[in-house]
Amino acid sequence: MIIAEDLHMHFRRGFLRKRVHALNGLSLEIRDGDFFALVGQNGAGKSTAMYCFLGLLKPTSGKVQVMGKTPGLGSPHYEGVAYLPEEPHYHLYLTVEEATRYYSSLYGKRVPDKTINDILERLGLAQFKSLRLAKCSKGMKQKVGIAQCLIHETRLLFLDEPTRGLDPLAVREFRETLREIHQRGATIVMNTHVLSEIEMLANRVAVIANGTVVAQDELRNLLTLDRELYNVTFEANGVIPDYLLSVERLGDVVKASVPKERLYDFMDFTRISGLPVHDCSLKKISLEDSFFKIIKGGESQV
Amino acid sequence: MIGTARKAGKLGGTMVELLRANVLANFAYYRRSRLLIAFALVFLLLTGLTSLPTFFIKSGVQNFNSLQEIYSTMNMFLLFFAGGLGLFVVSSHLRNRSLKMVFTKPCSPAVWLLSAFVSAVAVSLFLNLVVLASAVVMSFAWHLPVRAGLLFISMDTFVASVGLIAYLMLLATLAHPAIAVTFALIFNADLFYDAQMWAQSVIRSGNSSFGLRFLGRLFHYFYLLLPMVHAFGKKTESIYSSLRVLHGEWRYPLFSLGYALALAAFCYSLALFALQSKNHI
Repeated sequence: MIIAEDLHMHFRRGFLRKRVHALNGLSLEIRDGDFFALVGQNGAGKSTAMYCFLGLLKPTSGKVQVMGKTPGLGSPHYEGVAYLPEEPHYHLYLTVEEATRYYSSLYGKRVPDKTINDILERLGLAQFKSLRLAKCSKGMKQKVGIAQCLIHETRLLFLDEPTRGLDPLAVREFRETLREIHQRGATIVMNTHVLSEIEMLANRVAVIANGTVVAQDELRNLLTLDRELYNVTFEANGVIPDYLLSVERLGDVVKASVPKERLYDFMDFTRISGLPVHDCSLKKISLEDSFFKIIKGGESQV
Repeated sequence: MIGTARKAGKLGGTMVELLRANVLANFAYYRRSRLLIAFALVFLLLTGLTSLPTFFIKSGVQNFNSLQEIYSTMNMFLLFFAGGLGLFVVSSHLRNRSLKMVFTKPCSPAVWLLSAFVSAVAVSLFLNLVVLASAVVMSFAWHLPVRAGLLFISMDTFVASVGLIAYLMLLATLAHPAIAVTFALIFNADLFYDAQMWAQSVIRSGNSSFGLRFLGRLFHYFYLLLPMVHAFGKKTESIYSSLRVLHGEWRYPLFSLGYALALAAFCYSLALFALQSKNHI
């Protein structure tokens, strides 16, 4: 669906036209039907990469193909493409109904009033259809963006920090709608800082640091990056083996982590010393842990 | 053959639909732009103040002079306003970056820019017709004959607005609106025509220094390069004061239209290139 090879993007910024390297050889592949998340720190190059995929930016060098074509502004190949930007990038002077009709008409087909009304009704926007977008909450604006996806059977949806500023209820509703769009067969590319969201929605993730992809894999593989650690809780008699990590003492009880290769040594130690073990479990890793580990590794490589 | 025709027909239909959608959105922008509404109110207020003394005049000649003055003022404001229509529709969309929502769909910058131009021209035409109608109403109210000059001036203003809209749209794609307006006010053909005339008169009066001759040339080239608002302004000056049009003078609006359309096409091509080359839409 999307292939990016060795993308470089350089800008000149400021009075002295200082050269800024936004992308440094970014390569990634997004497959048909993926729910793909781009993760990275601020300024890592996520939005720049997304803009290159959307044709809003022309990379300085490298190759990018979206649905087999080089993306360009307003390309006729964008028939099944939709983009939900961050908050301010809507036509704020239009009403909810006008904006829905306008964005839907930009696919070159006139949309019947009934279809517009049905979608607004379904998304809970019917009572606000005369309200200007400038006066709408962010959640309502996002729903307007979603409406165009539902009207036109979007094949490829780009989301730029979609849940920033949404209340928890709106986030949940939004998530459900995204799941529905994905289940209809759409490929979704999401750029976000909310790692918990990615864990709930995405199936593939690319971690971007300093304009390059430092890790790109299935989410489940990224979540098992640290499986070699076990969490243990046991009662100690004073001696603590030096291979234990993150040792935390709570009176006689000790909480620590054991590397997988030393697990049998630890079990022998507690058996021989007669120490009761309260817990021994595989350390569960969150995407956050993986993310920090990857970012740390990526930065040291860069 | 039939397949190709069908494809062309579909493409044409798509293009019309895209133009229609964008023009309607731009009309909504014009209706709701506080800046444009504020400008319109200021222009109306100024026109009102200009016409205030006429309510205390009973003489037919003075009424005619008032009508001529009010109509000229309104047309001048219309021209400024038309420039604003072209400038703001581009600059506001570029500045709030809402074009991201347009260009990530199968709607090209060429279509969007054309629709912005068409909508600004359509609003300008509507306002011209309103001003013309109000001038006709004033003529009836003051028992004055409805002169053909009213129609001529209206046509001339509209044609001039077409070129001005395209020129300011181009400047808006290149620079901040304030810079664009400053540039349009300073670098205009009329100003450099006057400057060229001044330099020539000084040279004729005996001062033919190299610097002055160089300035004269420079002003001349600027005059040739920069777009003109009224391409045949010198030839139609008298119509603005007498509101009478001679038979042969009706060709000037047509010539002006040719000039305005050529200028609009040139500005459109440059603006499109600038828009497509922009790094941050």
